[in-house]
Amino acid sequence: MASLSESRGGDAINVRGISRRFGAIQALDSVDFDLRAGEIHALVGENGAGKSTMAKIIAGSIKPDVGSIQLFGETYAPSSRRSGAAAGVAHVRQQLSLVNGLTVAQNLQLGRPGAARLFNAAAAKAEVERWCDELRLDVPAERLVDEMPLAVRQQAEILIAVAWGARVLILDEPSSALGPFETEALITLCQRLRSEGTPIVYISHRLPELAELADRLTVLRQGKALVSGADVRDADLREIATLMIGDVSLLDVQRPEIERGPTRLAVTNLSISLPHGVGLHDFDLEVAGGEIVGVVGVAGNGQEALAKALTGQLKPSAGRVVVDGADVSGSATRAISAGVAHLQEDRATGLAGSLSVGDNVTARRIGAGGFTRLGIRIPARIATHARALAERFQVRPPEPSARAGSLSGGNQQKLMAARELEYDPSVLVAHGPTKGLDPEAAKTMRDRCFAAAQSGGAVVVISADLDEVIDLAHRVIVLNAGLVTDQFPIEAMSSERLGAAMAGLTRVDTPND
Amino acid sequence: MTDVASDSASGGVGDPGPVESDDLPGLTTALSTSLLAIALALGAGALLLLVSGENPATAYRALFDGAFGSKFAIGETFARAAPLAIVGYGTAVALRAGLVSIGAQGQVIAGAIGALLTALLLEDAPSVIAVPLVAVGGALFGMAWVLIPAILRAYMNVNEILSTLLFTEFAALLVEYLLNNPLKPASAITPQSDPFPDNARLGLVIEGTRFHAGVFVAVIVAFAFVWWVRSVKGFQYDLYGENPELAESLGIPGKRVIVNSLLISGATAGLVGWIQAAGLLHRVYVGIASDIGFFGLVVAFLGGATAGGVIVAALLFGALQSGGLAMQSAEGIPASLSDIIQALILLGFSIRYAPQIMRLTKGVMANFSLGRRVTR
Repeated sequence: MASLSESRGGDAINVRGISRRFGAIQALDSVDFDLRAGEIHALVGENGAGKSTMAKIIAGSIKPDVGSIQLFGETYAPSSRRSGAAAGVAHVRQQLSLVNGLTVAQNLQLGRPGAARLFNAAAAKAEVERWCDELRLDVPAERLVDEMPLAVRQQAEILIAVAWGARVLILDEPSSALGPFETEALITLCQRLRSEGTPIVYISHRLPELAELADRLTVLRQGKALVSGADVRDADLREIATLMIGDVSLLDVQRPEIERGPTRLAVTNLSISLPHGVGLHDFDLEVAGGEIVGVVGVAGNGQEALAKALTGQLKPSAGRVVVDGADVSGSATRAISAGVAHLQEDRATGLAGSLSVGDNVTARRIGAGGFTRLGIRIPARIATHARALAERFQVRPPEPSARAGSLSGGNQQKLMAARELEYDPSVLVAHGPTKGLDPEAAKTMRDRCFAAAQSGGAVVVISADLDEVIDLAHRVIVLNAGLVTDQFPIEAMSSERLGAAMAGLTRVDTPND
Repeated sequence: MTDVASDSASGGVGDPGPVESDDLPGLTTALSTSLLAIALALGAGALLLLVSGENPATAYRALFDGAFGSKFAIGETFARAAPLAIVGYGTAVALRAGLVSIGAQGQVIAGAIGALLTALLLEDAPSVIAVPLVAVGGALFGMAWVLIPAILRAYMNVNEILSTLLFTEFAALLVEYLLNNPLKPASAITPQSDPFPDNARLGLVIEGTRFHAGVFVAVIVAFAFVWWVRSVKGFQYDLYGENPELAESLGIPGKRVIVNSLLISGATAGLVGWIQAAGLLHRVYVGIASDIGFFGLVVAFLGGATAGGVIVAALLFGALQSGGLAMQSAEGIPASLSDIIQALILLGFSIRYAPQIMRLTKGVMANFSLGRRVTR
């Protein structure tokens, strides 16, 4: 792999005028991008900036609407990810593509371009070990992929890409689920690959590691390249962070006046460790009744763990979640009886799609409230109640017997709200409450959050969408890699401050007792 | 649950009233659509018979007569349908909770052993005491046979399909050992137990047939299943089967759902072991379970794990088994051809509960993703 790219010199990849549209969204808008041989080129931007679309186009999994690509000076128009791989472009995605239940050696052989028909176990094992030596990795050749930690699986995938003859590597958010030591190891691996001549497109939103690793960087926002191939050493990271975010405007935001009450939600020293994905470290939070706190950050920085911890679904490894004086840590039942409501981020997990609207809307308190006689559910009463509730929350159609999964996204969201917000909550955890909704449905959901606050509830809005937080929150907390990197009242929000915190350039030291 | 799906399948719309249609009242629609599908299957079978040089009319008459044509035939159909329905309902409870236990076969064997051992202990007790206690003995042995797979599934995420299958193998070997050694009467040549004590037997309901009192256990289990589906507990279990993550977020304890639903399926299979030994065969043989455990699973699937569906599927199975035998013996139709025709009819029947079956198999697929289903 090394010799090839060195001998040609010049650029590894030249992307010219690439555009790609998905429905109403212009994911990429005539973007140019160059990857020089032997460099690590960082591609940065917020969620939905077009980074992953760019990666997929270069890798061949999707085709651009217009534009052209050259690979080492030759026209390159891959028809699939496989043909991209055959041409030497390897795309290591966030969701790794190794097959669970097979060993690393078996994965090496599976789907390999031009592989022999028969699997030679000894040869595959030897090859994995040879590459381990070469790249100074410690990947066990004959262990099942799903038994290895995430970081090792990622190394295995990179190793396989190189063994398949990758001339260009695209790493999509490779550090997003790694801890600090693992990230350090990843950086070392990338530097070694670069020194052996494999250029890398490194996609990330974490600027500190890019400063350490990358040679040049390109900033995407809303499908446009705002900075193209700037030298990382000369770049002002804070300025880059601000560029990534764009203008943060607090104008035109109409938030109702809400009276503050006593503290209802108190989180102290909360730590959560997850086998896969980012947990939380030493998280503290107090939210008063009537207050709306926005938790922002790029998706995958601990939001899921936070939402589940606040609603009692995850047992913290340290710390407590207290609602109105009652400890609800690690008990969904206690959280529900303390009046904690939860709007889940993913409607597919927040609703039972094959069950009826009536069953869904009453699922939270099915054993109670005159719906049952001697432990038997009374369908007529449930239907009557469900219809009234669905109408109150503007679910269309408010038909108790309709299948929940057959409703539109906005109506599913309203249905989930009807289930969770039938009574005024003590705490509302709203995870992406307006995500993917049309403007009208989004407004309804915002009003639900305001109503929860106005009725004296403490509201935590977790979101990767800044506008959503700007519209709702009084106070902002920024999460990066499971840590709080900044917090401030909404009035103090600026692109600079937010950008720096979201990119992990700052760190708030939470008081420890 | 399945109410809406079955509504749409039967073309029923706009009934705003009850949320349920998932129980015996759905029986009539279940029957009518099933009959249509079965008619199609019979047509296909007729072609096959013609090609093979048989007369479809006489073959089908023999099939029907064997299932419903006489007092004996009807008794036979019910005696064969009852154990399938009981296993079917128990398996359906687990299926609705997202669990695929294929170990009913072993649990039936365990239940038969349990019933026999209890009966031998109570040889001197009056029937009023012996019969219910022997039933309990059978049910408890059935539960014991699924207890370890249930715990493994709940706490270590061990795939219940594999573990229950292994326990079936275990039961088959164990019964063979027991009947060749400690439980073998001195006089017996082939492996079999002593006769079931008279005081613990279930009597015949219709003389001259094999319709025994144990058939009514299926009726009781059917009503218990209807109750279960309508109960708060049953709803919680359905919700867990549909979306385990949501169920846990609403405070439904997943581990308990897993263990309890598997125990329920084990208990019903154990009851089948009891009625087969105490009502039908009056001994325990190596083949006591015949294929009831496996066919019971098929019945649960074919019936979409609904109350009406399971009973219809079980009756259909019972009728086909008893009629199929008659078709072979009376008309000399080869056993293989008779099996193909039975399979065609069952295939036709599966159309009726296609949406539910699809949903249930989704659970099976999730289960097969190397047992890594989300459980905490």
